[in-house]
Amino acid sequence: MIYYYLTVYPMEALIASQLEPKKFASYMALGSRKGSAEQLIFITVKPDCTKNIDWEHAKEHCKTKSDGTLKNSVYLSVYRVLEHIPLEALETCYLVTRDGLSLAIEKDNSGKGKTQAPFHLYQEICPVSPLAVSTLHPTEFADHIINGNGKISLPAMIFADMQVIDFDDMKNSGNVGGFYDHNIEHLKECLLQIQSAEGKKTKIVDRSYASRFTYQVIGTGIFAARGKEMVCFPMPSHDELKKIDYDWGRSALIF
Amino acid sequence: MIGFISIAVIAALGFAAINYFAVKKMDAGNDTMVEIAGAIEDGAIAFIRYEYKVITVVAIGIAILLSLVVSWQSAVTFVLGAVMSASAGWIGMKIATLSNVRVSNTARETRSIGATLKVAFRGGSVMGLCVGGFALLGLGIVYFVFGQLLGQTSPEQLTIHTNWLGIADIPFTMTVSGYALGCSVIAMFNRVGGGIYTKAADMGADLVGKTEAGIPEDDPRNPATIADNVGDNVGDVAGLGADLLESFVGAIISSVVLAAYMFYTGSKTGHPIDPDLVIKLIYFPVLFASIGLISSAIGILTLIVRKASTHPHRELNVATWVSASMTLIAGGFFTWFYFKGSDVAQIGFKAGILSPWIAAIMGIISGIIIGQLAEYYTSYDFKPTQKIASSSKEGTALTITQGLAAGMTSVFAPVVMLAIATIAANSVAGLYGVAMAAVGMLSFVAATVSVDTYGPIADNAGGICEMAKLDPEVREITDKLDSVGNTTAAIGKGFAIGSAALAALSLFASFLYAQRGADIDEGFTLILNMVNTMTLAGALVGAALPYLFSGLLIEAVSKAARSMVQEVRRQFKEYPGILTGEQKPDYKTCIEISTKGSIREMVLPALISVSMPLVCGFIFGARYSGRPSQRYSRSITRYTH
Repeated sequence: MIYYYLTVYPMEALIASQLEPKKFASYMALGSRKGSAEQLIFITVKPDCTKNIDWEHAKEHCKTKSDGTLKNSVYLSVYRVLEHIPLEALETCYLVTRDGLSLAIEKDNSGKGKTQAPFHLYQEICPVSPLAVSTLHPTEFADHIINGNGKISLPAMIFADMQVIDFDDMKNSGNVGGFYDHNIEHLKECLLQIQSAEGKKTKIVDRSYASRFTYQVIGTGIFAARGKEMVCFPMPSHDELKKIDYDWGRSALIF
Repeated sequence: MIGFISIAVIAALGFAAINYFAVKKMDAGNDTMVEIAGAIEDGAIAFIRYEYKVITVVAIGIAILLSLVVSWQSAVTFVLGAVMSASAGWIGMKIATLSNVRVSNTARETRSIGATLKVAFRGGSVMGLCVGGFALLGLGIVYFVFGQLLGQTSPEQLTIHTNWLGIADIPFTMTVSGYALGCSVIAMFNRVGGGIYTKAADMGADLVGKTEAGIPEDDPRNPATIADNVGDNVGDVAGLGADLLESFVGAIISSVVLAAYMFYTGSKTGHPIDPDLVIKLIYFPVLFASIGLISSAIGILTLIVRKASTHPHRELNVATWVSASMTLIAGGFFTWFYFKGSDVAQIGFKAGILSPWIAAIMGIISGIIIGQLAEYYTSYDFKPTQKIASSSKEGTALTITQGLAAGMTSVFAPVVMLAIATIAANSVAGLYGVAMAAVGMLSFVAATVSVDTYGPIADNAGGICEMAKLDPEVREITDKLDSVGNTTAAIGKGFAIGSAALAALSLFASFLYAQRGADIDEGFTLILNMVNTMTLAGALVGAALPYLFSGLLIEAVSKAARSMVQEVRRQFKEYPGILTGEQKPDYKTCIEISTKGSIREMVLPALISVSMPLVCGFIFGARYSGRPSQRYSRSITRYTH
């Protein structure tokens, strides 16, 4: 059997593999020679979902080796992959820690973007990776980036909304690691700008923040948007996570 | 008097035995837990066996040297001290490796922090009671055999004797010092060897496992994780126990040695002390310590029998305070009856017969305050630790800077406290009072060591929960107990260092008396002349020794840790299935690396520490050696004059 994986972090690629998702996660994080320790995010993709990918190439090359071992990976495409994958073809999102443990989060269309916060913090993951603050909720934010009137737009995007803490009570606002310790004054200035009446609705806090991205700070979940459509992969709460996969939570430094 | 010491020893060791078997008969949990705990126990036992083999060779050498240079009595008591200390370390480590898994299982079965705390503390109490019990058992034997049967504590024998090498001493002072030296040698090996072991394993596990591979603490995929857990036992249980046992004995013998020299000096300078009174002074510290031991047993019992709350730190504090309060009250009544009718004014006791008790109170109070200060500087509930955490937001360099600043600042208040206790104790009972303050501070050592030992047991229990993949709720219980244990460990170190500082003054005095030998006459005063170039030179070198010793030890840790790092990297590279969970790591090799590395690397620092006062004493004379840096070095130095 061949699985198709759309990796969205740290690089955008479509990879065919005979490894089932958890094994693929481990392989990608640790490498076959176990020299690496890399955090990554990927989403399983239904095959033959677009004509822009050479699926036959995968079928030809992604075969069991003569010694019986499974084929780890066949790269089908890198760069500008996401824009060609329809959202309905995206299945399960996997958050992989540096030590190769993965958390599967299923797609959920029912609760997307339902937040009441006065402002949001978004980590764009793919194809670009700025950190942005916005008064728009996720659906509006995605629409603003993809279909907005600005000169710059994206055909599709993956992003995560981040946990928003109470700046007056940071100590008790949740376990978000060191995320808010970095250049917090600048973040506060950006928030002031988007919350003022004349200010913009969205502002970039950091042009490329991906290297500092951690699972500790994911709020509602991971969002995938394309055109006017959006799907959400909701992040389990800490209590749910303890029941689902406590060990992943420890590897992700959440516990 | 010996009878009372015996009662205290039997009570303590009997209670320790009850707690040992009570913990042992508890269920150890599922097969995975038993397997992990077994690996930790095997590693700890292997280390102690290896270490004790090395110690045996060293101890035999020292014993032969002592019998030739000082006396056969000193050699015998040296061996006795080593055996007592080693026994306490062995039993303490054995119970710690039995308790850890039972603590995990209690958390698993009861989901109660109070019930789990009790098991951890019960395990820790075995070590605490053994430290107090074995220390006094050995001292009781020394007093009975050498003091009473061989008459060394009789007034006739409390005079300076000169042996064939020309070394002058009061025989009983050398006999008890031999006992203290035996305890010191074990303390040095257990503390230093165990310390290198635990840090090497810890660094190997963290640097490669956590930092490079990104796996969490106590993850079974980490090849060094079992060695890390073994290290908690050999370093923080056996090491700390032997350290405090040595401090406890050192504090007691400093009073005894001082009393003996006070008697001799008085008789030579025309101010004789009543022989009955000096006998009382020689026995008083041991008897006071016996009261402390019984009080500690009662304090420990209060935590075990009463309903424990969900606040582990408060429960542990209550056990300590009950022990200290009972020692204080019972010690007061005892002192009053013991010295009733004695003319204590002749030895400069300013507050009458209760003077030594008041001095001991100074030690007890300063000990409690130093403990609280240690908690203030190490608990996250207070500003110093919060400031370090806060500074970490600004980066690694500032975290280290703030940590160093907090560490250095933390020294001041306890030292001021010690200074106040020293002056206060001296003002009511002279130098004997200062020595009694040290005895007072450690009189409830059984309780403080119990609280200390609880820490590594809880730490190990947390590790077993993680490795056995127990329910998160169970892991939260052990994590909470573990975090309290980190603070209690710091408190224990405060007691050990504080009492050593108090005992140092009386050891200085004893050293000066011994240095003067039989020449004491009218007008003799205790002066450590810092204007004397040899004394000053000795002071400078002595002050530098701890830095040399520390530097060598840190380097030793670094070397051992490097081997561990390389081994963990090798295993990850050669056995790819370890990180994916398909292969089991080779825990045994990591344990062997830490074991052999720690013993090998400690040889040079240990040799320097032990030999420096001896070498300096023989080459440059007594004045140069008047300021050695280590307490055991001071003990050794006395044998050179």
